[in-house]
Amino acid sequence: MASQTLTSSMQPTDVYGGDEVSAIILDPGFSSVRAGFAGEDTPKSFVSSYYGVNEGGQVFGDDAIHNPLAGLDIRNPMSKEGIVEDWDTATRLWEYAITSRLTSFKQADPRNNGLNDDLKDLDVEMDGVEEGEKPLEEHPLLMTETAWNSPKNRERAIEIAMESWGCPAFWLARNSVLAAFGAGKATALVVDVGASTASVLAIHDGLILKKSIQKSHLAGNWLSSQIRTLFATSEPKVELVPHYTIMSKTPVDAGAPAQATYRTYEKEVTDSFRALEEERVLTEFKESVVQVWTGPGRLNSPMQAGMTNLEYAKSQPGRVFEMPDGYNQMWGGERFTVAEGMWDERAALPVAGEQPVQKGQTISEMVKASVNAVDMDLRSQLLQNIVVTGGTTLVNGFTDRLNNELTVMYPSARIKIQAAGLTAERRFGSWIGGSILGSLGTFHQMWISKKEFEEFGSSVVEKRCK
Amino acid sequence: MSQSGVQVDAECVSKFNELKLGKSIKYIIYKLSDDFGTIVVEETGSDKDWDNFREKLVNAKTKSKQGKEGKGPRYAVYDFEYELASGEGTRNKITFIAWSPDDAGIGPKMTYASSKDALKRALNGIAAEVQANDEDDIEYNTILAKFAKGK
Repeated sequence: MASQTLTSSMQPTDVYGGDEVSAIILDPGFSSVRAGFAGEDTPKSFVSSYYGVNEGGQVFGDDAIHNPLAGLDIRNPMSKEGIVEDWDTATRLWEYAITSRLTSFKQADPRNNGLNDDLKDLDVEMDGVEEGEKPLEEHPLLMTETAWNSPKNRERAIEIAMESWGCPAFWLARNSVLAAFGAGKATALVVDVGASTASVLAIHDGLILKKSIQKSHLAGNWLSSQIRTLFATSEPKVELVPHYTIMSKTPVDAGAPAQATYRTYEKEVTDSFRALEEERVLTEFKESVVQVWTGPGRLNSPMQAGMTNLEYAKSQPGRVFEMPDGYNQMWGGERFTVAEGMWDERAALPVAGEQPVQKGQTISEMVKASVNAVDMDLRSQLLQNIVVTGGTTLVNGFTDRLNNELTVMYPSARIKIQAAGLTAERRFGSWIGGSILGSLGTFHQMWISKKEFEEFGSSVVEKRCK
Repeated sequence: MSQSGVQVDAECVSKFNELKLGKSIKYIIYKLSDDFGTIVVEETGSDKDWDNFREKLVNAKTKSKQGKEGKGPRYAVYDFEYELASGEGTRNKITFIAWSPDDAGIGPKMTYASSKDALKRALNGIAAEVQANDEDDIEYNTILAKFAKGK
């Protein structure tokens, strides 16, 4: 990397002197934005990517968006593939994530920091921000991105950092590379299952092999849709009742109808608000009840003694889940069926308005396609260096099943999967990687400095952050 | 590409050249300096016993940024000598080993992985590379098996 090293005269050490000023690490995803200071173990700021809109303007953050009284329409600035669609809002959301939680920032004057703006006055107000102090003038910014981010979006990111936020230095890092490095691997097959996207890709010597990138929607939100189908098709139908609708509840026996008093709101909440709140219940269900059939074989494949694995699973102790309204029941075999579609397309439950799951979208088939897309000589090394990351991989049994599927798929290969044991390292893998990288004293020569940006323009990001 | 930007000490290259040219050095173990700023030579050896060399990697330590000592990653170059299966004599492969045990801390693992390229680029004449994350990966036979496949 010597060619990229700045000469000492160019090094803007006077602007950010090593350890004195920490870099900010910003890791935006579809469901949450992670932000914090480099060198820390976990992101201090963890903010929902969803934001609310009402006649008063946009509101950000968990304290604001879950308010049923505000008449909010809930939206998300990211596309389903985890790249930014609405840049104006994404910028404001990220700025909120950084300035609201990271202590050394004084929030800009609330009259003109853009967070409380009336939508119609936006243009005027934004001009006000330009003249004032910029939020990140003292902090270099390391941002993460997906492997399939577009060149245009990458340039947009550096423009926001440099022009809107006044950062003295910037770096854009691939989240999958950070996850691989964090596992101690420069060469790895990264299986990343987040909220909206599941992806598999190969990294060789720190570089993503473009042709190996595979992605599908069989991730956390899809898993939620499976649970919705399960609830809707249960006998009797299970009502998904979010917390905000409940005033009080009385304990009831398992399977008995709920005995709850409901809250009424003068103004009906929007569908998108209800969906957001339902999602919180589903998240709880995913964390406490859902289980991936770990193998051997698939859930619907026969076991010995004329029994399928599902029948066996049903005979095992179930788990009780209580809804916010007090309704509760034991979930047995069903807690396996909702996750089976990730591995076996025929087992996926139908979701209204969506195409049936294709074979090529399952996790194991994506691994196969990704491995087949790379050079023959590299394949066995990749299979020995599989890095599992992303919040949805924390669903019980995920890693074991992946191991079983791949052992069957590649009987003669050595399969080795590395998945961080600490929950935080799995959820925030790429943020933590960025935090370590950004805190290294030597990293200061890698940053794209403001001066470079001014000299070469935003295309410098394509040249430097490969 | 996201790289740490650490420097490679000149001795790393000169020792490597000694290994390459003469036959007095069998292996070199490299580590990151305590401030994680430079890759330096930790030790060189002429001991031909692979298991002794392997022990040194297995027992390598690194201090975390809180000063706590734990398992440490290393880089190493080993002049790997093996007999051809056909019995047609011996071959040598100068092998680069990136050793990063799975149970090391995420900080050292991240730093070593993002600095590897700097060292590898500085060393000219590496015939093979091994990425090793657990003790099985650096068994003599595991590495031999890689070469036996004709790679």
